[in-house]
Amino acid sequence: MQIVMDPTGDSRHHFNPHDAQEVAKAERRFYELTHVGFTAAARTGPGQVSRSFDPSTEETVFFPRLVGG
Amino acid sequence: MLRFRPSRRGERSRRRAAKRLFIRHGMEKTAEGRSLRLLRQWLSPAQRVQFAEMSYFEVVGGDTGKRYRIYAGAATNVCEVDDNGRPTLGLCFLPMGDLPIGDVMLSQKIALECSETQARGVARSFAPDRTFRGNRLLR
Repeated sequence: MQIVMDPTGDSRHHFNPHDAQEVAKAERRFYELTHVGFTAAARTGPGQVSRSFDPSTEETVFFPRLVGG
Repeated sequence: MLRFRPSRRGERSRRRAAKRLFIRHGMEKTAEGRSLRLLRQWLSPAQRVQFAEMSYFEVVGGDTGKRYRIYAGAATNVCEVDDNGRPTLGLCFLPMGDLPIGDVMLSQKIALECSETQARGVARSFAPDRTFRGNRLLR
């Protein structure tokens, strides 16, 4: 599942890792988001930033670029 | 005849109690509630307990091993703490866009744990003051 933070809380995108079409769509989303500055993090222990798409990751959260307050 | 008028103090405490309940339990259908639920899911068991009891949780910087405290809030809510748990430096950084506080806090947690140097690079630092004592938003 890909969770993208937004003003509503988040948008969730489920995909079946065994379905090539769904995986391709998820991969496209991953790179589109990271390309515009989102950080992707996988929930593995304390969390891990993902630089490349891994369809086997159970849950990835995307948050926008960080800025100073 | 005297009319009953609730005191301001009473109103304030009721409002605070409602806010506390709202934050503790998270109204699932609101953006804030959803974001707080997501945050809790991503916290470690120890952080979850700490957040429930103290309304803040601590993270360890992935690069330096320094300890940071993240309070409930969306700005000026992060501080570095020393070995005695005293705030030594306030840090202000947040994700772009108008995100609910749970999302902001989760982004701050992930950033400090996974890319601490980068997070500190964009953060504005400030001297922590009394506002870092206690539960800033929840009490």
